[in-house]
Amino acid sequence: MDTIIIDGLSFALPLFIMAIGGIYSEKSGITNLAIEGLQGFGAFVGALTVVLFSKFANMEVQSLFYVALIFSMLGGMVYSMLHALLCINFKANQVISGVVINILAAALTVFLTTQVNSLMFGAVSDKFQLGVSNRFTIPVLSSIPVIGAMFKSIYPFEIVIVVIAFIAWYVLYKTRYGLRLRACGDNPHSVDAAGVEVSKIRFKAVMVSGALSGLGGMCFAYSISANFSPSIYMGYGYLAIAALIFGNWKILPTLGACLLFGFAKSGGYKLGQVLELPSTFSDLIMILPYVLTLLLLIFFSKSNRSPRALGEIYDKGKR
Amino acid sequence: MSEYIVEMKHITKKFPGIVANDNVTMQIKKGEIFALLGENGAGKSTLMSMLFGMYEPDEGEIFIRGEKVHIHSPNHATKLNIGMVHQHFKLVQNYTITENIILGIEPIKKLAGVIPYVDIKNANKKISQLSKEYGLEVDPTKKIEDINVSLQQRVEILKMLYREAEILIFDEPTAVLTPQEIDFLLGIIEGLRAGGKTIILITHKLEEIKRVADRCAILCRGKLVDVLDVKETSTQKMANLMVGREVSFETEKKPAHFKEVILDVSHLTVKNQDNFEVVKDVSFTIKGGEVFAIAGVSGNGQVEVADAIAGLVKVSSGSIKLNNTDITNYSIRKRTLEGISYIPEDRQAYGLVLDFTLAENIALKDYYKEPFCKNGILDKDEIVNYGNSLIDKYDIRSGQGSNTIVRSMSGGNQQKAIIAREIELQSPLMIFVQPTRGLDIGAIENIHNMILRERDNGKAILLISLELDEIMNIADTIGVIYNGQLLKIADAKTLTTKEVGEFMMGVKHE
Amino acid sequence: MSKTNPKNTKNANIIYRAFLKCMGNEKWQPVSIPLFSILLSLIAASITILLIGKNPLEAFYNLLQGAGVLPKPVYAGYKSMLTDLLTMLNSMTPMLFAALAVAVALKAGLFNIGVSGQMLLAGYAATVLVGYSELNGILAKPLVLIIGILVGAIYGGVVGWLKYKFNINEVVSTIMFNYIVQYVLSFFINSYYIDPVSRQSKYIRSSARLTFMNVEIAGLKMDLSIGIILALITAFIIKFLVDKTRIGYEIKAVGANPKAAKYAGINVGRNIVLAMVISGALAGLAGVTYYLGYFASIQPKVLASTGYDAIAVSLLGNGNPIGIIFSSFLISVIDKGSTYMSSTAGVRQEIASVITGLILLFSACGTFIKYKIQRGKEKHFEGIKAIGPEDIVGSTTSVEKSENLIKAVEKDSMLEETDERKDTEASILQEENERKESEE
Repeated sequence: MDTIIIDGLSFALPLFIMAIGGIYSEKSGITNLAIEGLQGFGAFVGALTVVLFSKFANMEVQSLFYVALIFSMLGGMVYSMLHALLCINFKANQVISGVVINILAAALTVFLTTQVNSLMFGAVSDKFQLGVSNRFTIPVLSSIPVIGAMFKSIYPFEIVIVVIAFIAWYVLYKTRYGLRLRACGDNPHSVDAAGVEVSKIRFKAVMVSGALSGLGGMCFAYSISANFSPSIYMGYGYLAIAALIFGNWKILPTLGACLLFGFAKSGGYKLGQVLELPSTFSDLIMILPYVLTLLLLIFFSKSNRSPRALGEIYDKGKR
Repeated sequence: MSEYIVEMKHITKKFPGIVANDNVTMQIKKGEIFALLGENGAGKSTLMSMLFGMYEPDEGEIFIRGEKVHIHSPNHATKLNIGMVHQHFKLVQNYTITENIILGIEPIKKLAGVIPYVDIKNANKKISQLSKEYGLEVDPTKKIEDINVSLQQRVEILKMLYREAEILIFDEPTAVLTPQEIDFLLGIIEGLRAGGKTIILITHKLEEIKRVADRCAILCRGKLVDVLDVKETSTQKMANLMVGREVSFETEKKPAHFKEVILDVSHLTVKNQDNFEVVKDVSFTIKGGEVFAIAGVSGNGQVEVADAIAGLVKVSSGSIKLNNTDITNYSIRKRTLEGISYIPEDRQAYGLVLDFTLAENIALKDYYKEPFCKNGILDKDEIVNYGNSLIDKYDIRSGQGSNTIVRSMSGGNQQKAIIAREIELQSPLMIFVQPTRGLDIGAIENIHNMILRERDNGKAILLISLELDEIMNIADTIGVIYNGQLLKIADAKTLTTKEVGEFMMGVKHE
Repeated sequence: MSKTNPKNTKNANIIYRAFLKCMGNEKWQPVSIPLFSILLSLIAASITILLIGKNPLEAFYNLLQGAGVLPKPVYAGYKSMLTDLLTMLNSMTPMLFAALAVAVALKAGLFNIGVSGQMLLAGYAATVLVGYSELNGILAKPLVLIIGILVGAIYGGVVGWLKYKFNINEVVSTIMFNYIVQYVLSFFINSYYIDPVSRQSKYIRSSARLTFMNVEIAGLKMDLSIGIILALITAFIIKFLVDKTRIGYEIKAVGANPKAAKYAGINVGRNIVLAMVISGALAGLAGVTYYLGYFASIQPKVLASTGYDAIAVSLLGNGNPIGIIFSSFLISVIDKGSTYMSSTAGVRQEIASVITGLILLFSACGTFIKYKIQRGKEKHFEGIKAIGPEDIVGSTTSVEKSENLIKAVEKDSMLEETDERKDTEASILQEENERKESEE
């Protein structure tokens, strides 16, 4: 039981932080299917930094964990500016732009990884080895029955995510920027008439989304896969999008959806172990979150309300 | 300091292919109500948009309180104490009134002295106070999507006042209001003048100018025709100057000859997405040769009535009969074949496929029939020929004839294309929703005449309009809709504009 | 408006004007803009290659050699430029089908990014049902095609149905299906059809294979693809379907404006499903020509990148089936030539997908480029476009024109021209915007 909660949380929280990024972007009116590419690119930049640091500064990969988190956020943010540029300045179709960003991210990071590996390390590999981040357990809280598992063998990034998620919530609902951002997704003309530049607000929102996606991607690289490789493009970004759709573009319900995915995944694994299924069956268990996504979409897609101006290209001259 | 608070000198503004304002000069005194009169497209809105910083003029100068300024953004205009109520309200639907008003100039407080947040509580109080002060009572915590158009307009006015605007621009403020609401609004505007504010009123309604304005500038095709003292000028003269020729106010209308009943709607109820009844138990009939008009304030269910008849929305109960055939559960196409023409409210969203050519759009309801389509294969030549014949007949103008992509056509010609297509269906029932919205007087006259011609040909006409004048002009029978219910159905001759206005606001009297 | 230093702007102006001239009129733009996108991405790729210290021209030359478009210095026995070209065409077949699949869905306003999954399922079904059977070639090959079409069509149909019935974004649903198909089939292949040495599914019998491998003609061993002929014919059929038939008209109407389509009495749901069925069927054909043509086995847990590259191909070809023939040729050249390039020029093979990605990126900017050209033309060649099309209809001389304008008051007037202005400015933008504009 404990492992279900522990693994579930460590899967759900990175997903959650990516979904919050998505909420920022979509609440500002920019459809963001690029999360998948953003998380991959962010993780790539983070992993690259770690690998370079460990080579040239001779530092232990484990100790570079926080450096990686910061650089993954920067990487995701910089790369997301491409999406923002296409959608906001170049008025491209936002869905197409998102898909383009994803495809380019995969191509670019794989190319660069192999290139860096062969140039720096003389190795033919499309991976950056990272290892798994250390875990820790909070003493008293972890001894509570059942819920205690939430505080057992936590990855440090889980704490980071919870803190950032709280800040993200506060900014979105309590501050001036948040008020303007949400207005952009409903009626950008009103924001414009109030003398606030819609494109700036949206650009920043997409950048936030890039940073948070990068963070999420890095967390996956440091936990589940223990490396950066093309397998980072596992559809995490799309799961995050599905989660925010069930969450009706609201932060707390989105957390619920992410937890559901997380526990479905960890529960499935546990089930496989308990039933002592052969290893080939792991492939079947892997599909659980995806099937769940489709099922939930069937129930929620119709009733949920997307932000009114979502996906719409904003043109100032229009009235 | 000069006596003028606003001076616009030799303003010229060009857009590709059009001169929107051509060397316009006008001066506005502090504390007056200055009206800007002109047809749609005469350049009124462009001129005021420049004063409000949404465009910059190509040539000319603007002086505010005697000082030369370059107004580069709405923000800048706000700093110069200029405010504007746009024709289409700029409100965030799922925000409260307060949130809408403070957007852009949010009052900030600091949590524990460090973490900033938007201080909604104080803003609520301040707005409550402000609204009482000017007689514009609103509940600041209500959401925009839950209040009606007239209250939304109050929010827009409060927005200006909250920003301490001294020069208030109203762009066609009465277009969506009932006569009673118009009275109220004009009262508010006069009150604002009494409070020392300067008001610029953009309108094409002469009677409003006559009632409140001190002076009036008339624009025609981008040029300033004249600035007149309202008290000393007749309405007729203003109208003639505005259009540039003699105009008749009344549409010529032959007496009606009613025939047998064509449309019979009984106990129609329609629910929206949220399962809320937007049309409640509506019953009426339309006979051949009759124009039945539904009057009502926007958003009271009138469009849903039309959509339900045409089959675009589901009927939740009640029945619709066309020529004694029950069509309640027919598909849209079957209804069209059964005899319904429909000119929808939103021509670009529903009436046309903007990326198709003009010919393809003209064939939008016939493309699958012979001779346009044989065995599933389209005959392009036939489609083009048919398109050309309608283009000639209805004088639809476009760059490359029937091959023009409709998106590049002007609004008026797009509307002509729809009307041509729908009239040529020769349906016994024709539904017109807001057929003249956004068109100028000439085009309006033309469309009114077409509607009446079809009536005289024995067609049943359902007209839905927000313009009360239009309804009073052409309707034979008027039904007034309020909150999804038809409150009154009566012969048009027995109703006055004032009475209709009262019903539009839900005031019932026997 | 812009009053910058005239000397500086003059040079830039000439280049800009020349650029505008080159991009040509609206008829030429569907060709010139993709060419411009390709040029931009080649420049970007060149810079990348320069950065890693290699010669981009050499790399591109090797690329063309590898694809059999230019001759290599030496050839192994039984090989020549022709065999390379035929191999490239063999790999182009699934690409062309896949790009057509994307294009058809796009006509209905749908974004089928699940082509890879559809390919995999169709390929798997044909492999299992026919690939391992004893049927002879004359029966097996058509059967493979039919199974591909059917499986793909059903798959696509489900996606379309989910979209129409439950409003599920097709991008999300097709991606989810991609993963599900990938894992489930990996399970079956690993459990039942695995070849322990290659770690792939067992090879299919050559009678079921859609490509005749190593056919010896005139001393050369060539791979002759049946699929490529079929794919070219299909491209023309799709072109006909989209442009000349009732089905095409309805699908395009649904894609361009679903509300207007509904209003016109077109069954929107049926057309969404139909478009996805056709798209799926084409993806299915791509799948069988990939897994039972170009290859003869399936690698478990791997999706073909063809499905994603097809998006680039389709965008680059402007969604026009004939344009797609050319763009799929180009992308296949890049893809196929990259192996040779990496071995000779020492540029890593992965650069190929980067180039494809860049082409995709610049193609996505196509509407923006078009918009800029239009704006630029309005500014620089004002004489041409200074009068609205409505006036051109009327007359040419200015006197007549002004008279016409006065007359026009009765019919049409300035507002309409202001609208016109807005329309042209925004003509390339989404109609979503238009809708909003005219909403209350």
